[in-house]
Amino acid sequence: MKSDNISYNFPFSHIYVEKQAADHPLTKEILSRFKKSVVIPIDHYKDVFNRTHQDFELQKTAPALILAKNEGASVFAGSPVCQDFGNDHFYYTSCARGCIFNCEYCFLRGMYGSGNVVIFVNLEDIFTEVDMMCRQHHMYLCVSYDTDLIALESLTGFVSKWSSFTESHDDLTIEIRTKSFRKDIYDICKPCPRTIFAYTLSPQEVIDRYEQKTASLSDRLEAAAYAISKGFPVRLCFDPVIYFRGWQDAYAALIHEVAEKIDLSKVKDVSVGSFRIPAEYMKPLRKSFPSSSICQFPYENRNGVFQYPEAQQREMENTLVTLLQSLISKDRIYRAEF
Amino acid sequence: MLYIVCALPIEAKSLVLPLSLRKDQFSCPYETYLAEDHSCVLVVSGPGAIAASAATTYLLTRFGFKNDQDFLLNFGSCAGEKGGLYLIHKIIDQATSRTFYPDMCYDLSVSGLTLSDERAVTTCYQVVSSLEDSDMLYDMEASGIYQAASRFVPPHRMVFLKFVSDAGIVEAGQLTPEALKMCADTHATTVLKVMNTLRAACTPIPTFDEALYNQTALDLCASETMSHELRQLFRYALTSDQDMENLLQTMKQDGKLPVSSKREGKVVLDEIRQHLL
Repeated sequence: MKSDNISYNFPFSHIYVEKQAADHPLTKEILSRFKKSVVIPIDHYKDVFNRTHQDFELQKTAPALILAKNEGASVFAGSPVCQDFGNDHFYYTSCARGCIFNCEYCFLRGMYGSGNVVIFVNLEDIFTEVDMMCRQHHMYLCVSYDTDLIALESLTGFVSKWSSFTESHDDLTIEIRTKSFRKDIYDICKPCPRTIFAYTLSPQEVIDRYEQKTASLSDRLEAAAYAISKGFPVRLCFDPVIYFRGWQDAYAALIHEVAEKIDLSKVKDVSVGSFRIPAEYMKPLRKSFPSSSICQFPYENRNGVFQYPEAQQREMENTLVTLLQSLISKDRIYRAEF
Repeated sequence: MLYIVCALPIEAKSLVLPLSLRKDQFSCPYETYLAEDHSCVLVVSGPGAIAASAATTYLLTRFGFKNDQDFLLNFGSCAGEKGGLYLIHKIIDQATSRTFYPDMCYDLSVSGLTLSDERAVTTCYQVVSSLEDSDMLYDMEASGIYQAASRFVPPHRMVFLKFVSDAGIVEAGQLTPEALKMCADTHATTVLKVMNTLRAACTPIPTFDEALYNQTALDLCASETMSHELRQLFRYALTSDQDMENLLQTMKQDGKLPVSSKREGKVVLDEIRQHLL
C-alpha cells in the first residue's frame, strides 16, 4: 500500500533489460533517454513482472520499465467481455503490458498483478505474425488493450509503426484505444480508414477519482476533435460506465459536453458498456485493493463475469444509449453484449 | 515492525546497541534481540544461505510478519572491489543460477543511499576466491533470505543492505573480528537512517469493525453464503465512506434486527444492500 510519508523513486528509475533484448535498436534508443536510471540485466521479463505478492499501487507510484522480447504467439482471440464492433475475426495483441496510467477499475490489475510496464521491443515479429494471419481472412485487431500505446508513443513509436503497417495491409483493421491528450500523433501519422483511434470518455468526476494520471475530459475531447479534423476515424467509448451516487447527472453532462465539442456526425461509431470484469480477475483485485470502492462493490457474478446487478446495469446502459440516440444514428451505437 | 537478519553476532552488535535491543530470554534456536516497544526484532542466523533461510522463516513466523506494516531487512558483510554500503537490486544464487529482485520503489537518498549505491549480489556457498565481476558483490546469505521470505514477504518489503568487508578469500582470511566490527559500525548510522525512513511506510490498511460484522451475521441468522455477502457489503461501505454502524443501529431501532430465521435474514440483507447502493 502506498504511504504519503515516504519518498518514491522517479518513474522508470529502474529499467530491467532482458539479455536477448539488450542488442535490439529500440532497447538502445529507449535506454539512451534514461541516463539517470539504473539498468538491471535479467534473464526473462517474467522473473520481474510475474513475481508473487507485488504491490500494484506502490509500483504505479514508482513504476519500473522492463524491456523484453516477446517470444511465441503474440496475437490472441478477443475476449467475449470486450466489444467486437460487428467484426467476425476479433483479436488483440500485446506489444506492451502494463500502462503508465492508473485506472482503479483496470482489468490489468487483476490480470498481471504488477504495476510495472513491459515493452516488447520486437514489434517486427508481431507484424510477421499478423501478416500471416491477414492472408487467411480480414482481421480486426486491438493493439492497445494491455497498455495505452499513444501514451507510450514518445518511447516506442509503435503507433506510427502500426499505422504504416495497417495502411499496407488491406485485410487489417486496428483499434488504438487511449485516454491520452496527445495530438501530435495526428501530425505524424497518415489517416487510414482502417486505423481507428478510440477515446475512452468518462465524466470528470470519474477521471478525478478513478483514472489517475490520465488526460482530463476536455483534453481527450480536444485530441479526438483534432483527430477528426485531420481525417482520422475516431471511436468514442463510454465504456466502462461507472456507478456512483449522482451518475445520471454526471453522464448526462458528459454527453452534453461531448456533443458540444465533437462533431458527432463525423465520429465513426460509439460504444456503451457498464463496468464488468472476468471473475478470475476480481478475486486478486479485491485482495490487492481493499480500499477501492470499485473493487469492493457487491457485484453479481453472471456467467463468470462480475457485473452490476442486472436492473442497475440495464438502467445505466439504457440511459446512455437513449441520450446518445438523440445525437447519433442507432446503427453507430454499439452495446456490450456477452 | 522491522525484522532484521544478520549472519554474524559482530554485524548484529552494531545495530543492537544503537537500537537498544534486548536479548530475547525466551528459549529459542537463534540468538534473537527485541525492542522493548516491539518495533524491531533482530535474529542472528549464522553464516550461509541455508542457515539464513531457516532463521528468516523462524523470525517471520514467530513474530507474525504483516505484509502491510512490516519490513524485512538484511544487513551484513560481503566481498566486493570497492568499499561502501550498498542497496541490493538483484540477487543471484550461484548454485542454481536463479535470480531474485527486491522492488526498488522507495527513494532512500535522504538516508544516504542514492541510485548509484545499488548493486547486484551473488550468493555463494563458499567464500569466493576472487572477484569474477568487479561490479558484483558476493555474499553467503541473501538468496537464502529472499527465497524463504518470499513466501511471506512482498518484494517491496524486503531490503538488503550489504557492506564490503573484503575482496575475496585472501583478504577474508586476514579479516579480524575487530576490523569487521569497525566496518559494520561505520555503516550502522546509514542503516539506522534507512530504518527510520522505512518506518514511515508502515501504514496499516483501514479495516471494518470485525466484531460488528460478526454480531450482524448472527443477528441475520446468516448462512455461509450470506456471511460472505455481508462481508462484501461491510467492505464496500468502508471504501465508499458509508456509515454501516449507523445504518445497522437504525435497523435495530426499527425492529428489523435481529431476525428469527434465515429467510427473514435474506430480506434484511437485501435491504442493507439497497441502502448502500
